[in-house]
Amino acid sequence: MSFFTYAWDWVTQSANWHGSGSIPQQILAHLGYSILPLLIAAVIGIPAGVAVGHSGRGAVFVVNLANSWRAIPTLGLLVLLAVYLGFSFLTWLLPLVVLAIPPILVNAYEGVAGVEPGVRDAAKGAGMTSWQQVTRVEVPIALPLILVGLRTSAIFVVATATIAAYIGLGGLGRFIIDGLSSYQYGPVAGGALLVVILAVLVLGFFALLSRLIVPAGLRGQGKTE
Amino acid sequence: MMWSWIAANGAQIWQLTWSNIILGVIPPLIGLAISLPLGIIAARWRWFYPPTLTVVNVIYAIPALALFIALIPALGLTDTNVIVALTLFSLCVIVPNVIAGLRGVPPSVRQAATAMGYGALRRLITVELPVAVPVIMGGLRVAMVSSISLASVGQLIGVSSLGYLFIDGEQRDFPTEIYVGLVLIIALALAADLILVGIRRVLTPWMARS
Amino acid sequence: MRDPEAAATLWWLDEFSRAGWVGDPVSVITFERVTKRYPDGTVAVNALDLEVPAGKIMVLVGPSGCGKTTTLRMVNRLVEPTSGQILLDGKDIREQNPARLRRGIGYVIQQTGLFPHRTVEDNIATVPVLNGWSRAKARARARDLLKLVGLDQALARRYPYQLSGGQQQRVGVARALAADPPVLLMDEPFSAVDPIVRASLQDQLIALQTELHKTIVLVTHDIEEVIKVGDLVALFRPHGRIAQLGTPERLLGAPADDYVAGFVGFDRGIRRLSFFSTASLSLDTGPVLSANATVASARASGEPWILVADGKPRGWVQPDKLGQYQDGTLLGQVPAEPIGHTFTVGTNSLRAALDAAVLSPAGQAVGVDGYGNVVGVATFDRLRAAVQAAQTAADAAAALEPSESGAPA
Repeated sequence: MSFFTYAWDWVTQSANWHGSGSIPQQILAHLGYSILPLLIAAVIGIPAGVAVGHSGRGAVFVVNLANSWRAIPTLGLLVLLAVYLGFSFLTWLLPLVVLAIPPILVNAYEGVAGVEPGVRDAAKGAGMTSWQQVTRVEVPIALPLILVGLRTSAIFVVATATIAAYIGLGGLGRFIIDGLSSYQYGPVAGGALLVVILAVLVLGFFALLSRLIVPAGLRGQGKTE
Repeated sequence: MMWSWIAANGAQIWQLTWSNIILGVIPPLIGLAISLPLGIIAARWRWFYPPTLTVVNVIYAIPALALFIALIPALGLTDTNVIVALTLFSLCVIVPNVIAGLRGVPPSVRQAATAMGYGALRRLITVELPVAVPVIMGGLRVAMVSSISLASVGQLIGVSSLGYLFIDGEQRDFPTEIYVGLVLIIALALAADLILVGIRRVLTPWMARS
Repeated sequence: MRDPEAAATLWWLDEFSRAGWVGDPVSVITFERVTKRYPDGTVAVNALDLEVPAGKIMVLVGPSGCGKTTTLRMVNRLVEPTSGQILLDGKDIREQNPARLRRGIGYVIQQTGLFPHRTVEDNIATVPVLNGWSRAKARARARDLLKLVGLDQALARRYPYQLSGGQQQRVGVARALAADPPVLLMDEPFSAVDPIVRASLQDQLIALQTELHKTIVLVTHDIEEVIKVGDLVALFRPHGRIAQLGTPERLLGAPADDYVAGFVGFDRGIRRLSFFSTASLSLDTGPVLSANATVASARASGEPWILVADGKPRGWVQPDKLGQYQDGTLLGQVPAEPIGHTFTVGTNSLRAALDAAVLSPAGQAVGVDGYGNVVGVATFDRLRAAVQAAQTAADAAAALEPSESGAPA
């Protein structure tokens, strides 16, 4: 039997769609556990990244962060907090937010710092205040990279929320972790398949968002990601 | 923090570290070996490029744990499973960088090489790839750091690595063990990153030191 | 020549005056002992005293690193002086809020700095919108400015990446002019385009200036641009001191020292001639004969060369070489040598006339009027006399002028 057969068999069992801990419930839960940390991380990371990109102060820190944030093992961080705090709201929220911030922060910084010097000079010379330079020129131009940062972070958060089931969080990871401990490959494969579909949908969402939000003038330049 | 525990279990810790190194370092290297020809093809034949990028973006979106699980029927709960999965992820990171690196070679440089009589293959090996090294190395660094860290997730399907310290530490409510795991993985990843930076410096004496 | 369409679009100039925007449409910029010293010790500008008169184009020129761009950027406070002060119409610019100050000063840079995320018309509309105009009104004005700088209206909705280099530069100029600032700062605006486009942009600037009379400070490293565009020139030495300040003609005619002479170039004598008019050049009509005149009259004239003309010049013939033709043959039917090119009397300079003489097989320049009809010819002797008279007059006029400021180092 292949992965898909196991997964498909399990997903199509109607019993799994009803009752507590059902598929639709866990999908919604997973979305919730992903969106909340992402939003918090965006609220922290985007302004911080833009500020560092505009002023240049703290750039060294951000560049070092860019190279090192992937070194943090997600499982380790989750488990550490579980041991200290037991299972609580903060236990899963804190690590997810902390892990979601770096891609957003780094990409926001690179987006703003990467604005052509001539454009920044022209904006300043035209008489824009710092705030106006940032909001009217630098952030719009940095938008593609900011979106890339959000997308990277979103995918990372979806994956980490899956693992967080290990310390007791609900969501699609629940099927995987419970299935692994009871040696039932059905829910394990099914949960994995659903998470993959969710991740791909997130990818598609951001592709659509980018098409809607990014000004045509920037798309035409063929910015590589 | 119980230092005595660390001393007492030194052998096991070393064993797990070594496993983590194998699981973390091999995939990016294999990934590099596969990415180079793939990237070269995609950089040369334009129509190959967008589908490659799309596939790579989709695969990279797959959570690591899910990929390990998907490979179970084929590869079981073995080291190979984790290595294959992490190699795939490394591919996803390095291929775009190979493409970007090659495309980033200034057209004037390429034309000068051709004008001087370099054939396409010789030009690729002696001119374009060396110029692309910094960008390709950037991708390799990301892949390396991610792999070393993600290898610990393999513990959830029973593949041994420093992730064991997390599982065991959680079950025994023993933070020391968890700290050891965290510190070692982060240290390994950063050490590997530094080594790669050193290699890049050796390979690119022509670059200004930032 | 003046474009009647462009004149019609200047209606907004009146509107601005009525709105109290353009009180005094011109501004004087004064530098008083301005110095810029960087923390590492480099002195970019050294005790500069300079006055930019209202409504004139002042060109700052010099080698790389001489401080000309730093000087320019101190006017709109993108760089702050270490000591000294800068006055705009007598008021210290430091008394004004920097952003507000900059909205009253147009700024054009070499890389254009066009906002890639905005359309051409929204780029041009930047400062009016910042000043509170409605977007519709600002865009209407942007479209007028497109006409003013010689661009097609169809470009209004395009994005910068879709435009050529020359078009982008024009948009940059339009953006700088949008809020009708009395002062315009230009930092090597035309260096990044090819010579043909550059010449066209320079012509456009000169045409605009005859309409708008802005106080313009332009930085360049190209001495030809200086001569073509500048009313006044400040030539900088390395490290921020002025070597000579004066009109382009003065720099060519009386360079202050070897440095200036070397900078303005090897053939400054001939280039200076482009400032002298041909209006007072005396022309000879003796060698000019109609195409209906006969070969006999050509031989009888005693001239070594005859210009055959029927209103317009047709060519040169040498009577001595016409032996094979009968006396009665019309000059219009005899093969003639091409005239090279002509010069327009009064409009073209002595330099153009000299060039025409050099190219002419007869060694004589052919002068025509505005319609192309021959007025007369000038030999090298007549040209030489005119040149000497012009040079003497220019030197005398300069001697009478109040002494030029500008600290020779």
